[in-house]
Amino acid sequence: MDPARRLGPAQIDAVAQLGVSTVLLGGIYALIAVGLTLIFGIMRVVNFAHGEFLMLGMYLAFWSFTLWGVDPYFILFVAIPLFFVVGLVTYVLVMKGVITASHNVQIFTTFGLSILLQNVALVSWSGDFRFVRPWHLSVALRVGGTTFNLSQVVAFVISVVLTVALFAFMKFTHTGRVMRATAQDRDAATLMGIDTDRVYRLTFAIGIAAVGAAGVLVAPLYSVYPTAGLQFVLLSYVVVVLGGLGDMAGALIGSLIVAAVEVAGSYVFGIAWKEIFYFLLFILVLVFRPAGLFGQRGSETLGA
Amino acid sequence: MIGLPRHTGAIVLFGGAALVPLVIRDAFFLDSLVLILLWGALSAAWNVAGGYAGQVSIGHASFFGIGAYAGALMVTRFSKSPWLGMILGVVVSIGAGLVIGFLSNRLKGPYFALSTIALSQVLLIAVSRWRGFTAGGEGIPVPYRPGFATLGLGHVAWVYMALAVAIIYYGVEVYLEHSRIGYQLAGVREDEDAAEALGIATRRLKVIAVTVSAALTSVCGTLWAQYVGFVDPAYVFSVDLSVRFALNTIIGGIGTALGPYLGSILITVLETYLRATFAGMKAGFTGIYLVIYGAALILVVRWAPEGLTGIAARLRARWAAGARGARAHA
Amino acid sequence: MLTLENVTKRFGGLTAVRAVSLDVRERELVGIIGPNGAGKTTLFNVVSGYYRPEEGRVVFAGSDVTGRAPHDICRLGLTRTFQIVKPFGNLSVLDNVMIGALTRTPTVRAARSDAERVVETCGLAPYATARARALPIALRKRLEVARALATRPRVLLLDEVMAGLNPTELGGMVDLIRRLHAEGLTVIVIEHIMAAMMRLAQRIVVLHHGEKIAEGTPAQIVADRRVVDAYLGEEFVLAQA
Repeated sequence: MDPARRLGPAQIDAVAQLGVSTVLLGGIYALIAVGLTLIFGIMRVVNFAHGEFLMLGMYLAFWSFTLWGVDPYFILFVAIPLFFVVGLVTYVLVMKGVITASHNVQIFTTFGLSILLQNVALVSWSGDFRFVRPWHLSVALRVGGTTFNLSQVVAFVISVVLTVALFAFMKFTHTGRVMRATAQDRDAATLMGIDTDRVYRLTFAIGIAAVGAAGVLVAPLYSVYPTAGLQFVLLSYVVVVLGGLGDMAGALIGSLIVAAVEVAGSYVFGIAWKEIFYFLLFILVLVFRPAGLFGQRGSETLGA
Repeated sequence: MIGLPRHTGAIVLFGGAALVPLVIRDAFFLDSLVLILLWGALSAAWNVAGGYAGQVSIGHASFFGIGAYAGALMVTRFSKSPWLGMILGVVVSIGAGLVIGFLSNRLKGPYFALSTIALSQVLLIAVSRWRGFTAGGEGIPVPYRPGFATLGLGHVAWVYMALAVAIIYYGVEVYLEHSRIGYQLAGVREDEDAAEALGIATRRLKVIAVTVSAALTSVCGTLWAQYVGFVDPAYVFSVDLSVRFALNTIIGGIGTALGPYLGSILITVLETYLRATFAGMKAGFTGIYLVIYGAALILVVRWAPEGLTGIAARLRARWAAGARGARAHA
Repeated sequence: MLTLENVTKRFGGLTAVRAVSLDVRERELVGIIGPNGAGKTTLFNVVSGYYRPEEGRVVFAGSDVTGRAPHDICRLGLTRTFQIVKPFGNLSVLDNVMIGALTRTPTVRAARSDAERVVETCGLAPYATARARALPIALRKRLEVARALATRPRVLLLDEVMAGLNPTELGGMVDLIRRLHAEGLTVIVIEHIMAAMMRLAQRIVVLHHGEKIAEGTPAQIVADRRVVDAYLGEEFVLAQA
């Protein structure tokens, strides 16, 4: 395309559409990533099973919609506390011993959990693709030259609200400060009398609640099947790595970047190739700036 | 087993496998044996990087898939022998191995594992979309043409082929346990900084280990494709497959020579049994063996990190102590 | 043998080592002391190749080794130990030492006999088959020294090998280092425990806030006002006066 040619209305519309899609998508990715970066930053554990909790959130939305006709946005009120408890239970049963263990134990414990959850879903509900089609999915909104549906917007808005709430919690409450302190230096935190076990429990529970909520929100927009979590987990790791481990603001910006890459990539090369872009981005980031765009150089080796 | 020669387990295992086709002719049984041996070899290949070098990858399917596709494409597109494809697969896998090796020097533990997953997924997507060359997501059926050059072998011949590979890979592992490079690798695995201070070129060694592991995996990928007769990108590059290589080794005993094979036997037998038992039920039920794997992985890695070989060693020690006690009282 | 010329190492805004110059001659036993945070271990890290200095050079046996990889520097003949010991926990004591020996010998068999000799020299023979992980701290420190020794260094850098030892163990370690030095090894020792340092060192270098503030024989150092000031504070010095 000749750069000297002025952008005509069609091109502006396309760019605007891409922009809107990016923002909407980015908001949702942010909710997923923010929980992950918390877990990552505070507990220093890579949770390979994160996507599976998302998947469970999606199934929750599906079954409550199919069996009782409850709209996903209402089931959200149940989902958040439910997944919070699920997070607590998972922490006590599985994650507790992993924090101080070797990398191998961390990797394979959370991977084992991932396999377990995926296949419990498979066995319980079969591998058939399911769909959640509430009324708002078919409501199209037109602003300027851009089009999007109501489901996307509501998902975006709720995601943003929850993410902001999480930010506020971390920044302004005492517990939030305690959690941030533990993230910075877990030994010092212990010496200051902070019950790190309680912090980890809370962190994990919040992280899982966030991703479970994201699952509920995302259910109308994607197909629901047992391995649905996989694409999201890798994506959210791209976000978290980009933003720098433990950096919530970074996760937000990372979400936008990943969403932008995905949207632009699908537009230029077609939907089939979209995933390849963020994987390549992931590898590139890991090779050149493993601490993320905003993280401290060398922090990727801080690990366990 | 105190007092028995060192490789007794291997002799029993491989010797037994060699004798089986002479006695049993049932195709299903022989098929299972071939798979056990191939999975064992693949797990042993993973063990070179994951167990002996301590570089835990969950993306070894990358190399497996490369090998499978190299063989299949060589046969279907270029009408050449799959052995040639095997060589090509090894070359490309070494290239991919160098990338992974490079990453292993930049990233630690879980970060590294993530990057290996990313690579396997990039390959999966790329191969699935490249319809012109690789037939895309449909996969490639590999024709069966009898003969050694075309790797068109009968059941019994496949058993011995797989056995040969398994024994060779076992030999590679044993070599790693007793050679200079193996000891240095153990140092790298235990404490990289300390190893570096003792004059070991840790970065180079890690790359070598990963690359060798990649090449070995690729070879088995080519063989597997010829044996099974079909290459499906969603399977050969899958994360599930990568996990399986690690799973076998961890259950059997990571960092030991026989571990991968023991794990392979247990897992494959269990899987076959569960699959057969639940065959009649609804489709999803076959996933139940994976539920067990997931749980097993969690439990083994925490409570029995040395796997089956560790448990066997502990039992042996207790038995020996008991025998000593009995003799003392006699 | 080993020369440091104006070595400076910075971490962001913090200057851990500032323009330190040092000359160590063959067969010397030099001690480096200084309060915590003085930059002693950082200096070792620069010399042994783990850090690249922002300024300055490290010259070992005539060649510039600044910024070369640690394993290269070890092969050239300079080996260091770690302040927080890093044993190969799951391997036996003998295997630990053998891995050091393998840097010099091509075969496992030769390395094993080398290792056996070193293990004997360092008084670890009774523990040769024990897992390194199972050893108490005193023996771990010995293992750290033995393993470094197995690489047949010309210069040995010992980083606080006495910390955590009781008086008997300390005496044993001092004897060991004396013996090694007597056999021709050039040794540089970082130490906090002054009694041990006084018994061992021919020459002492004092670091404070990353700078070399004094250098001389043990007697000279103890009498040096700046050294006392650094360790004990100005009030003490004034009170003494």
